[in-house]
Amino acid sequence: MTLEECYAALEGDYKEVVGRLRTERLVQKFVLKFLNDGSYDLLVTSMENQNYDDAFRAAHTIKGVGQNLSFNKLYKSSHLLTEALRNKNIEEAAPLYEQVKADYAQTVSAIRQYEASI
Amino acid sequence: MGKERKLKILIADDSEMNRSILIDMLGDEFDFIEAENGKEALSILKKRSAEIDLLLLDIMMPEMDGLDVLRQMNASHEIVSTPVIVISAETDPDKIKEVYDLGVTDFIGRPFDEAIVWHRVTNTIMLFSKQKTLENKVIEQVVEKEKLSKMMINILGHIVEFRNQESGQHVLHIRTLTELILRHLSEKTKKKRAAGVRSGQSGNLSSPEGTGGLLFDLSEEEIAVISTAAAIHDIGKIGIPGEILNKPGRLTDEEFTVIKSHTEIGAAMLDALPAYQDEPLVRRAYEICRWHHERYDGRGYPDGLKGDEIPISAQIVALADVYDALTSERVYKKAIPHETAVQMILDGQCGQFNPELLECLREIEGTICEEMRRSEEREAALGKNGDDTVNLSREVLERKGLMISDRTLGLLEHERMKYRFFADMSEEVQFEFTLSPPSLMLSEWGAAYLGLDEVIMNPLQDPKVLKLANRKDIERLSAALRGTTPEDPIVKMDYCIRQNGGERWMKIIGRAIWAGSDSAEYQGAIGKMIDVHETRVKMAELEEMASHDPMTGLYNHRAAKIRIQNMIAERPDCRFALAIFDLDHFKQANDTYGHQFGDQVLIHMAQRLQRVVRAGTVTSRVGGDEFLLFLEYKEHVDLAINRIFNALMNGDYEQFHISVSLGVAKTDTVGKDYDTLFHAADQALYSVKRAGGGQFRFYDSSSSETLSAISPIDGCEENTGENGEKGE
Repeated sequence: MTLEECYAALEGDYKEVVGRLRTERLVQKFVLKFLNDGSYDLLVTSMENQNYDDAFRAAHTIKGVGQNLSFNKLYKSSHLLTEALRNKNIEEAAPLYEQVKADYAQTVSAIRQYEASI
Repeated sequence: MGKERKLKILIADDSEMNRSILIDMLGDEFDFIEAENGKEALSILKKRSAEIDLLLLDIMMPEMDGLDVLRQMNASHEIVSTPVIVISAETDPDKIKEVYDLGVTDFIGRPFDEAIVWHRVTNTIMLFSKQKTLENKVIEQVVEKEKLSKMMINILGHIVEFRNQESGQHVLHIRTLTELILRHLSEKTKKKRAAGVRSGQSGNLSSPEGTGGLLFDLSEEEIAVISTAAAIHDIGKIGIPGEILNKPGRLTDEEFTVIKSHTEIGAAMLDALPAYQDEPLVRRAYEICRWHHERYDGRGYPDGLKGDEIPISAQIVALADVYDALTSERVYKKAIPHETAVQMILDGQCGQFNPELLECLREIEGTICEEMRRSEEREAALGKNGDDTVNLSREVLERKGLMISDRTLGLLEHERMKYRFFADMSEEVQFEFTLSPPSLMLSEWGAAYLGLDEVIMNPLQDPKVLKLANRKDIERLSAALRGTTPEDPIVKMDYCIRQNGGERWMKIIGRAIWAGSDSAEYQGAIGKMIDVHETRVKMAELEEMASHDPMTGLYNHRAAKIRIQNMIAERPDCRFALAIFDLDHFKQANDTYGHQFGDQVLIHMAQRLQRVVRAGTVTSRVGGDEFLLFLEYKEHVDLAINRIFNALMNGDYEQFHISVSLGVAKTDTVGKDYDTLFHAADQALYSVKRAGGGQFRFYDSSSSETLSAISPIDGCEENTGENGEKGE
């Protein structure tokens, strides 16, 4: 699997990210690093404990990282979740949270496959 | 190997990913410091500000967000010396405007583009370092220019001095004294204005004149102009023939007229200058040259100006001129001492001066000699008037919103490094508390010791702080600090903190920070906290040891005496009795059964004594087999003494038959002096002993002289007769 195929699997924009970060090496480094980022765990725990302030920050960070790495699908859902949490709209947040979970799983699974192939 | 310092960037972002992307993007030409949240960033900035060339700041962060970091940086003016680039996904224009309003240099939106980040960061850093270099250049040039012009004026002044054969330090003295008076006047005016403003607020609409006297506040620049111009006050003397100027004998009227013309000549010289006519220095010099011989009552020359017609600059130089003429040695006269000279001026012997200026002279009289000496020293040491000029130009520049130089920052950083080293070595908790915004800063060591953060916002609401110290104690400390004055701002107190579930004693030495010496506004405090727990506990132990008899655990005599004296002093209306007893035939116990047994008897007696007395009674082993007790009583003490005596006599200790002799003295009978009481009780005891022991007896002053002489058996007194008989 190539990095470009990995981006296709997680529904991100490979061209855009290489344009911004200049080299494939750098993109690869951060894509792999994404697996160790603690923000998703923080989001899950905070949502479970109904600590919506922390959940907001965690969603915000995922959004930022997603944006930086052009993980467009994950970026979009985490962006919506961030806004819902910013406004403390918990009802609206619940389905968006489910979407983020699904997108995150899709992203991580794509990266793992890519990691296994290199 | 090029040892050129790499530029240093502080990155504050809570996401490790983001920080690391930025670091990779910016590459090897920079050094990086990372902060996980706003608080950490602020704490790093406070400590290492001088070495940080740029702050990359995220807005959304835990603990303290980026906006608060910016607000703090504004409050401490840090924002002026450290450029900030904000990185945020924020797109709301109002939010972005708010960020710019807080003084950031640039704003980078997410997602990062390597080229954009790199260029913006480099541009910002270059811009700042260029600006700093320029500033330093400007400062240097202004300093150089000021130095040159001041030097020229001094040379001119000295030419006149030389021609005048005033070999002393006339020019320097006039300049110094003029400056001294100007400064004092200006300060007085500021105070008056402040008072005027206050009375205005309270509804009393007094006119400015109502506050009385000269209103004369001057900037550093104006003070410098006038005192510099003062140096050439006698420049007109260049136009006076030398033989008249330096004639040793008395001047004729015509000659004196010629001399007087130096005022007009000087003024005319300045007036004739082809350029610089509008320069403040030339205007002031003109006033001074022409009118420094005018007098307040109109009797001076050349124009006979009166009162406030004479410019204040000329009035001041006139006063300084007269003072220096009096106190300097001349061909025709000796120097007059400072005090006499001031008195002569005040008495009007050298012509009339503005009463306000005379008041000024009186007020600064004490400092003149010292200031003159210091200015002579400065002049001699420098040879160039660099010092003042730097101050002046700095002030001018700073007023225009520019900043201090790299060198100053370097020095500051050096001081900080020193401060941190000593703070860590001293094992003290050093703190700095500011009221607005409410924050507490702790030294690195102190923070680690207390288990707190180095920077705590709203410390009085902080749960960790409140867990450590009682709110009451904090309020007590705060009240004490606010209760100080700017003259005496130090507070010392002992303080108990909770740590690891236990309590520890700390000593706090704090210094309140008062803003402005006049208005005195409490702004916070600095100070240190020393762990005195071990010392305090040790002291308590030592005190315990020092005041108790190790064998019986009763007070020793010294401690008992202090306690008793305190009781007497604290309760002046109460009646007390002091009793001393010893064991009859105790020597036999020691001799027959050994000292160890004797000790056991003593311990037993001490226990018996403690069992029988009521709470509040002082008991003590005075020495050997002698014990003391001291108690308060209401009406009669006899019954109580009888009860105690019987209890002491009651029962033997193993094979030893216990019998005691006891003497009592009452404050009613012998007064309240401890030594007298003790002596009296001892006498009573002695008389019991002489009577064979096994009794108690009260001291009676009537028989005191005869006590030891009379037959002890006859010695019973008062109503102690039967009670005092041997019990069983």
